[in-house]
Amino acid sequence: MKKVSLLIKLILAVACLASCAKNNDISIKEKSKIALVLKMNTGYHWSTIKQGADTAAREFNVNIYFYAPTREEDVNGQIELVNQALDAGVDGLILAASDFKQLVEVTEKAYDKKIPIIIIDSLVDTNKIHSYIATDNLDAGRKAGQALVEIAGTKCNVAIMSFVKGTSDADDRERGLFELINQYPSINVVAKEYCMSNMNRAKMLAREIISKNKNLDAIVALNSIASEGVAQVVEELGLDGKIKIIAFDGTINEINYLEEGIIHATVIQNPFAMGYLGVKYAVDMLNGNKIENYYKIEAKVITKENMYLQENQKLLFPFIK
Amino acid sequence: MSKDLGSQAGSCKDSRKSLIRKTINYFHKITSRILNSLNKMSIQFVITASFIFVTSIAIVFVGIALTNRVRVLAEENAIVNTRQIINQVNSNLDYYLRNMMDISNHLVDVIKSNKDTPNTELAQQMNSIMATRKDIVTMAVFSSEGELIACEPFYKLKKDIDITKYDWFTATIDNPENLFFSSPHVQNIFQKQHSWVVSLSREITFKRDGKTEKGVLLVDMNFSAIDQMCQNVVLGKKGYIYILDSDGNIVYHPQQQLINAGLKYENTNDVLKHVFGCFFDKHNGEKRLITIETVNYAGWRIVGIAYMDEIVYNMNDIGVYVVWILIFGILFSVFISFFISSKISQPIKRLEKYMKMVEQGNFDVNIDFKGGAEVANLAKAFNLMVTKIRQLMDQIVHEQEAKRISELEALQAQINPHFLYNTLDSIVWMAEKGKMQEVITMVTSLARLFRISISKGRNIITVEEEIEHARNYLIIQKIRYKNKFNFIINVNDKVLKYKTLKLVLQPIVENSIYHGIKYMVDEGLIIINAEERNGMLLFEVIDNGLGIMPEVLKNILTFDNRAAKGSGVGLKNVHERIRLYYGEDYGIQIESEPEEGTTVRIWQPIDCYEEGMSDLNEKG
Repeated sequence: MKKVSLLIKLILAVACLASCAKNNDISIKEKSKIALVLKMNTGYHWSTIKQGADTAAREFNVNIYFYAPTREEDVNGQIELVNQALDAGVDGLILAASDFKQLVEVTEKAYDKKIPIIIIDSLVDTNKIHSYIATDNLDAGRKAGQALVEIAGTKCNVAIMSFVKGTSDADDRERGLFELINQYPSINVVAKEYCMSNMNRAKMLAREIISKNKNLDAIVALNSIASEGVAQVVEELGLDGKIKIIAFDGTINEINYLEEGIIHATVIQNPFAMGYLGVKYAVDMLNGNKIENYYKIEAKVITKENMYLQENQKLLFPFIK
Repeated sequence: MSKDLGSQAGSCKDSRKSLIRKTINYFHKITSRILNSLNKMSIQFVITASFIFVTSIAIVFVGIALTNRVRVLAEENAIVNTRQIINQVNSNLDYYLRNMMDISNHLVDVIKSNKDTPNTELAQQMNSIMATRKDIVTMAVFSSEGELIACEPFYKLKKDIDITKYDWFTATIDNPENLFFSSPHVQNIFQKQHSWVVSLSREITFKRDGKTEKGVLLVDMNFSAIDQMCQNVVLGKKGYIYILDSDGNIVYHPQQQLINAGLKYENTNDVLKHVFGCFFDKHNGEKRLITIETVNYAGWRIVGIAYMDEIVYNMNDIGVYVVWILIFGILFSVFISFFISSKISQPIKRLEKYMKMVEQGNFDVNIDFKGGAEVANLAKAFNLMVTKIRQLMDQIVHEQEAKRISELEALQAQINPHFLYNTLDSIVWMAEKGKMQEVITMVTSLARLFRISISKGRNIITVEEEIEHARNYLIIQKIRYKNKFNFIINVNDKVLKYKTLKLVLQPIVENSIYHGIKYMVDEGLIIINAEERNGMLLFEVIDNGLGIMPEVLKNILTFDNRAAKGSGVGLKNVHERIRLYYGEDYGIQIESEPEEGTTVRIWQPIDCYEEGMSDLNEKG
């Protein structure tokens, strides 16, 4: 008798447990808000990053809040935008830092809010981030140098067109480039300028450099705007072939210049992957999954000869239309 | 060698046999242990437990079978569904490609029918096709040397482009009869054009300047039409399809950008091994169903990816459902079995309770049962049995009582012959000596003694008669013992008419003489008192004889003294008779002091029946 009643109690308890377990089926999740703060709101590189982010946002069902100043060197503007995003109460922050030092404070502030901080493209001088997704810029710089050596030879006069001083991607690329150039004492760097990712300034500087240095053999341009500006000037002056151009990134214009032989090699990154992975990592972290704290994207040198290889054309033309 | 093998096999067999025997023994042990423990448990528990056990096993079995069956069905269903969807896509794609071929056929016809190429009709036709078809990027005619002859829309070839080195061109020269579908590629022959296309190319003959020449027709199509066909194909929530060409290049993928950016990979190697059919694989720990179908003309493979966990998700629902059925089934079976077992065991338990009552000596039970035919029969039999036992018990009590009374009566009768013999012996002896007065006294006393002793067979006599009896006995004994003792009788007049059990004094007096006075050196004295004390009738027999040793005294009334020397037989006899007649409250009390004497008190209830009534009573 006692045993039976015990048995019944046990079964009832099990039934209760089972009914409790059933209750957590449906949970309506509010879409997470993720801020994407870039250095600039125009340009091939940034728009491709944004496209990657948008693709990921659709896939993972989150909202992307896009912030970027109009000028790449506008560090204070970007700091303000990050603050704006944080005030808006975003659930995650993806940042391409305009300045290695000056964005530290605001990044750490965001980190203290315990939201995922994913740094893409250019690093900030702090450990208080959750992940860093970027091209290996040092290696990219080295590869540009390698391409320079292969195309212009070990004995040449070369000018460097960088973009913004103080940002980690530009600094790393320069560092990588000089690492290689310094191996060849006959390579003579005649000029180094910063175009501030401004096309007109790039063109102006390019003209200045070319007019000052009659024996210029090559120009290394360290981002897409610098590359396009330099290529345009070289084409205008009819110096194609005489001044070799080692470019960065793969905008349609650059590809055309590459096919026309004005640009001789270009180092491409994978901005789409940066944007996509940035969002993916933020979402993964929000979902409590483990993420890599550094995702390195390999840079690749594209020349006219290898640009239509299956694997390269995919990278160069990531969009079907 | 073979023998060795044989013996080895034999030993192997033996060891297996012993193993089997061991396991069988083990099972025997277990089952017997279970059966043993079952024997000790209550029927109710055994029924309930076994019922639940059987039901649970049945339900679990059914649940598992059902779940498995449903799982198999779900899988089959998923496979069939996916296949149908893929087939649909296949026929659409087939239709689309055939349409493309028709367009090329049409162009070939136009080219053939004209004497000179390029011409306005061809341009017009191409133009109208371009206008209606958004999925066609370019159409172009090349000579066998790679010279661009006609093109729509009007693009310029890039400088230093060698058309004859392109796949789609060489393939048509190698296989003049066939149409060629290229892998997806960026069409880079025209200036400033970089579209991803699939090229359809075929060999043509055309006339130029009156000469018939061989050439190549190129139709580039973009992915918009294929995209549209495949985009809306849904295989569950996460499932999708993609298209591979025969070299393993991805023609269409819903996440083409991720593939291009190197962020997503498809395991195309496994797919390329299949022309059609389906298989399962694991990707990132998820089980996927891969379904493959090959498109006729282009040799493309349509690959459908369906995630099994989405099918299994439904399975989990069914699993939960089965678990619920299981729980409720078990609950239900518990209640049912509880009900049934209590229905069976309850009457048995009640029966047991009644049996306990009987066991404790209560035979006045009569069970009234309605709990099933068997139990009712059992109860009836039980009732019958209890009644029978009761009757038998009563009978035994009666018989026992009758036996004891007859025994006592026999004991009562026992006194007389011995005494009579001795007395008569004394009388003879005195007559011989001529002591006539004493003979007369003795014979008179003896006659009185016997009169009272017989007293018409009554057991109850008056105190007066009992005293008289004792007196006559004493007189006889005094003569016999030559005045070795004296006696005094004090009787309260009030008690003379009270009733007393016959022959209670004489055995005590006899004891006093034989055990107390007989061995005395001095003259003995026996005092008999009769009075009412504490509402009871009290006879006291006091002697100044040897007394009784304390250890004898302790047991004198309880011991079965017939075994021990015959002393105290009278005492015990009297004690028992009084108690038998009047109950435990009455009987004999002995006080004795060695060398000082003994006092025996005989307690009886005061019995003052009327003469007539007591007579009536005694007869009954």
